[in-house]
Amino acid sequence: MAADMGKGAPAESKPAEKRATAGVLIGEALRRFLLRPESTSLAALVILFAVFSYLSPDLFPNKLTYISIMAVAAELGIVSIGVTLLMIGGHFDLSVGAVLGLTSYVCVVLLRDAGLPPLIAGPAAVAVGAMLGAVNGILVVGFRIHSFVVTLGTMLIWRGVVIALTGGFPITIDIPSIFRDTMSGPLIFGFRMSMIWFFALGGLCTFLLARTRLGNWIQARGQNEQAARNLGVPVDRVTIILFMITSALGAIAGVIQVARFASVDALRGEGMELQAVAVTVIGGTLLSGGYGSVIGTVLGAITFGMIQVGLVLAGVPGHFFRTLTGFIVVAAVILNTTVARRMARSKPLGGFRRGNSETDAALAEISISKPERDETAREGGS
Amino acid sequence: MSTVSGTSGSPRSPTGDGGAKPGESQTRPRKIQPIAQDAVPVIEARNISKAFGATTALVDVSLKAYAGRVLALLGDNGAGKSTLIKILSGVFPPDDGELLFKGRPVVFANPAAAREHGIATVFQDLAVCELLSVTRNVILGREPTKGFGPFRWLDMKRADEMARTALLQLGVRWERGLEERGINISGGERQSLAIARAMYFGSSLLVLDEPTSALAVRQAGRVLDHIEHARDQGQAVILITHNFRHALSVADDLTVLAQGRVAAHFRRDEIELEELTELVARVG
Repeated sequence: MAADMGKGAPAESKPAEKRATAGVLIGEALRRFLLRPESTSLAALVILFAVFSYLSPDLFPNKLTYISIMAVAAELGIVSIGVTLLMIGGHFDLSVGAVLGLTSYVCVVLLRDAGLPPLIAGPAAVAVGAMLGAVNGILVVGFRIHSFVVTLGTMLIWRGVVIALTGGFPITIDIPSIFRDTMSGPLIFGFRMSMIWFFALGGLCTFLLARTRLGNWIQARGQNEQAARNLGVPVDRVTIILFMITSALGAIAGVIQVARFASVDALRGEGMELQAVAVTVIGGTLLSGGYGSVIGTVLGAITFGMIQVGLVLAGVPGHFFRTLTGFIVVAAVILNTTVARRMARSKPLGGFRRGNSETDAALAEISISKPERDETAREGGS
Repeated sequence: MSTVSGTSGSPRSPTGDGGAKPGESQTRPRKIQPIAQDAVPVIEARNISKAFGATTALVDVSLKAYAGRVLALLGDNGAGKSTLIKILSGVFPPDDGELLFKGRPVVFANPAAAREHGIATVFQDLAVCELLSVTRNVILGREPTKGFGPFRWLDMKRADEMARTALLQLGVRWERGLEERGINISGGERQSLAIARAMYFGSSLLVLDEPTSALAVRQAGRVLDHIEHARDQGQAVILITHNFRHALSVADDLTVLAQGRVAAHFRRDEIELEELTELVARVG
């Protein structure tokens, strides 16, 4: 098909494509791939897959393994998607693990003590999560305190509340099987439902970030808050909404875990806030905000799951998990800040260097012919 | 040869005018029209005063900006230029005095209120988001959307069109693609982008804060072209600058601020570079 001819190569300037040699095409395709924030996590994913397959050739490339990886990736990934949006918007949320714990508790109590059906208890827990996020957002916006400090405080508060309410003991409940199946039950081919939720939320948030006004505002907020404000972007509202989305996603992960474990305990979700930051960074989102990718985070979460499962299968002691994760996070940051920045400044390879053909056509039509400028007239002065 | 606008503001002579009339001092000769008797200023500041604690920033300052004219606001650091434009663009209100928009008194509660009146301010270095594309930078805050009800998404095709039109209206030849990120465009191009954006979204008053200060000669020249272009399209322009040559080359009127007061006000053809330099040195 003619439409597919330009696949892989950008379709912006047709004549240039004809001139370009195969080498230039590959080079340009590589350059454009490296420009993407997802390139680091995709590379990490491919390399780790190869390494683990080499280390345990019988056990690793196996459907059961993939199912375990996705089970780990989905719950962490859903939390990380929210954290990614928030970090692109230029904020941090340390409280998201505690929000996950507290909303799990809310969900369990609504199911067990209030006797509510899961169809109400689940969304109610997510709504509570959004409210907790709104508290974070309002504190950040209202008092102009750095979100790192605000959410450090709320993390401690909400974790304390969970510990107090549970008394430190796990609470178990009977979960209706329909609820367990829709949230985290085995699906066709044995993959868990949580994977579907993970991919659906990943797709939704990718769309939100790339193709909506809110997404544009989130990126602008993270890059140049003052410019965004001057141009009429409701920066404060964007911040509050971001915190609400993050906590709501944390709550969704919490509800999934309630369905999977049929219980809640005092330490549910602990440490997840930092794992989510690690996943986000592996996924190519800048720590300084403004730039990132939800798809990268989805890949980062799968990378994370792969490390966790792969090390066990390779017979490596469990504590190596943290060490290796740490190395990968640092490597990802180095790649993202040095390579990506250099690539961002790179010029298209020869043959792709033309301007936008539509612009040229429009310009030719209007035929702007400015008189020669007298540059000397503006020289000097201070 | 035709300019884009061609209605007023004859182009500067390409040969340089060092050898022109002695009094003209490297700026082109230009006929400055007197302000029409019945013209209503787009924005008028009447006896504006502003203090920050014990520091007096502005005392009894009045100025008028008319459609189709460039008002240059000159003065040393601390003369009150920034305070004045922040009042005009709604960042904070004056302590005393009033603002009139097209003859009617107005109070701007915030920058958004000023913008709704068509007052577009391009601040010195806060114009561009570095990692957003040119298109996204142009449409930021005014994104076109499509969809239905609450389900709306960006209309990127329309957005590209808007960005292209905005730049073309300013006569900017954008050689590269509109997907180019802010980080890759020069200081001059950033100013072009910011001015194009301000004009495209229908400003009636364009306030430019030191648009040429960080630019190379050629780029500064292009920004001055944009200012003339905006003026020729009937906008009122207030240009804040340190650079007397730049001010003299595009302004129709000049106001010199010193220590928070209006030290002098001229029509362009009433003053030359030497006098202006001397005056500012004396009052500043």
